Amino acid sequence: MAITAGELSEIGLDHQNKAALGRLLATGRLAYAQEGPEGRMRAEVRIPPDELVWDPSILVMPHGGDLDLELVNDDTNTHCAHLPSNGDSKWMWLAVYSRGKATLNLDGPGYYWFSSNIGNDEGRGLIGAIVVLGDAPPEARLDRPDQPRP
Amino acid sequence: MTEYVEARPVNFSELSAVVGRAPAVAENVTYERLLDARSEPHNWLTYYGAYNGQRYSPLDQINTENVRRLAPAWVFQFGAAGLHAGPSTYAFEAAPIVVDGVMYVSGWDGWVWAIDARNGQNLWVYKHAIPFDTSLCCGNVNRGVAVAKGKVFVVTLNAHLIALDAVTGKCVWDSTYGDVRAGESATLAPLVVKNLVIVGSSGGEFGVRGHLDAFDVDSGEHVWRCYTVPKPGEPGSETWPADGEAWARGGGNCWVTGTFDPETNLLYWGTGNPGPDFDGEVRQGDNLYTDSVIAVDVDSGRIRWHYQCTPHDLWDYDSTMECVLFEQDGRKLLAHFDKNGYCFVLDRTNGDLVRVFPFGERITWGEITPDGAVTPKVYPDKEGEPVHFWPGPAGAKEWTHAAYSPKTELFYVPVQDVGAEVTRRRRQFKESIPYWGASVTVDAEDMRGFLKAFDVSGNEAWRWASRWPLSASVLATAGDLTFVGEPSGEFNAFHARTGEPLWRFQTGSGHHSSPTTYSVDGRQYVAVPVGWGAWVEGFAPGMLGGQHGDALFAFALPEG
Repeated sequence: MAITAGELSEIGLDHQNKAALGRLLATGRLAYAQEGPEGRMRAEVRIPPDELVWDPSILVMPHGGDLDLELVNDDTNTHCAHLPSNGDSKWMWLAVYSRGKATLNLDGPGYYWFSSNIGNDEGRGLIGAIVVLGDAPPEARLDRPDQPRP
Repeated sequence: MTEYVEARPVNFSELSAVVGRAPAVAENVTYERLLDARSEPHNWLTYYGAYNGQRYSPLDQINTENVRRLAPAWVFQFGAAGLHAGPSTYAFEAAPIVVDGVMYVSGWDGWVWAIDARNGQNLWVYKHAIPFDTSLCCGNVNRGVAVAKGKVFVVTLNAHLIALDAVTGKCVWDSTYGDVRAGESATLAPLVVKNLVIVGSSGGEFGVRGHLDAFDVDSGEHVWRCYTVPKPGEPGSETWPADGEAWARGGGNCWVTGTFDPETNLLYWGTGNPGPDFDGEVRQGDNLYTDSVIAVDVDSGRIRWHYQCTPHDLWDYDSTMECVLFEQDGRKLLAHFDKNGYCFVLDRTNGDLVRVFPFGERITWGEITPDGAVTPKVYPDKEGEPVHFWPGPAGAKEWTHAAYSPKTELFYVPVQDVGAEVTRRRRQFKESIPYWGASVTVDAEDMRGFLKAFDVSGNEAWRWASRWPLSASVLATAGDLTFVGEPSGEFNAFHARTGEPLWRFQTGSGHHSSPTTYSVDGRQYVAVPVGWGAWVEGFAPGMLGGQHGDALFAFALPEG
């Protein structure tokens, strides 16, 4: 049976230093990237004060491709962003009250983690997920009848 | 209103000592050079060193007289940042390629590096972003790259084939050739033949349909696909149930690099196990072309002949491993050391069996007579009833490779002697969910390994026993040496003619890779990636808690 947001909140797993020491990963908000006219996507992710969480912590891309990701640090501590992207990971120092844009290229389908890879920001909750929807291109799929899925 | 300061993104590798460029040594790596790769003993130009798959180098600076002085010249390490797929199962499995002083090597999770082969300096790095949730039967691994015409070719776990600029490491083209939603992935080192890059698919434990694909070297355009399980009506389809869709989930994946003979114009490729691995009742018949050596016309992608090593497999005995090309008495032959514990010597012009002989230690699953007749003896048959057999599903030899020295005329084979208990457990097929049809427990205590040497007629010349299953490839050199690593981290050199242990070095992590050798400025190096992982619960469960490092050692004799 799936855990509900209410159950997580009830014991404080979606807060800092309540049930556990940090916040359970990816227990923040979910949001969708916005798609532009040529399929390029954009989104914004913030770090709110004292929560040690990405907001949203689950970002959904409707398909693979380029994502312009605006990162905003509203916390009064310094963090950073280590972001998956084909070719090389992107990285950004996020000083207190800073913002910047990174462009990511991701294949999908599947999901990828991003994080603030300093200290134990990751363990405390600053790991988020980028979920890419869609399918493999038709030319790459198997020549067989459609198969049952879970 | 908050006043924000500007944050600027950088490429993560810029925050390192990486140089960013490599010398343009790969520009003139042509098909003609690849055909004659062993005439360049200072280089290791293809996955096996040459199209013949012998894993033999003519270099002899390091030899039986001086190997005791061998020491690390440099070490390359990488580690990880952030979470990646298979965080407990990543392994460093590659065979380093070397072209005129530049090493190209792939790691786990989409990493590719160009390295100065003299000193270990990282020249450039490429990172493909791999979905954390990619279906992986056996770990986050990649077995290496191919280099030709100024490009470095590598597959990704999410089933892309990408071409990188060999000077900058930047992506030149990217083609998808597998369906991750179906459970497909990709792990093998590509093979460049003529103007084609040839790759196979992984995913045999998820009930996919195996295939080889060829792409144009320059453009990445798809040229042909060769399925290893026929559709109804195609040749070989009579070996599958006439009704139902067993063929569509039939496996036969080509997840290890093949070999090539330019005179026959044939690729020699091994195919994987049928799906489901252990429940044969749902796929009555021989299940072609699973567990086979297939000879594929490189221009058309058509199967010219096949030889099936384990018909109607019930033990997970892939035949994906190398087909070593050699000649005997003027006859063009290939040798294939199979998971099932037998070596098959075939006439590579037509697939005729020349001889078959056992190389594994304990073989109880069945018997293969000298004329090739297969008699199964112990196999999971009744639902819920456990059976125990040797070798276990990782085989008497896993994917890691044997070597052949034309100088000694001996094959050197890494042997695993590990059994397993298997209980048939039928399950319904669902796309992307493991499709084994059994519960499997591999022996964790009763295990050992051997390095065995055989002559071309199948006579054992010598053996060396290890406490551990040998799960790493062997390298043979003209210095009359054979090298092989152990799960415990030891890297060993032996006298190739006698098996006498001559040298060993503790690298700090288990070996599950393919060592290569090369020379730069007249100095010979032996390179070996270490990083214990992958399907350890299958080939050496008693070492599942072993040191899980990731490093590439280059050994050489002291200078001066």
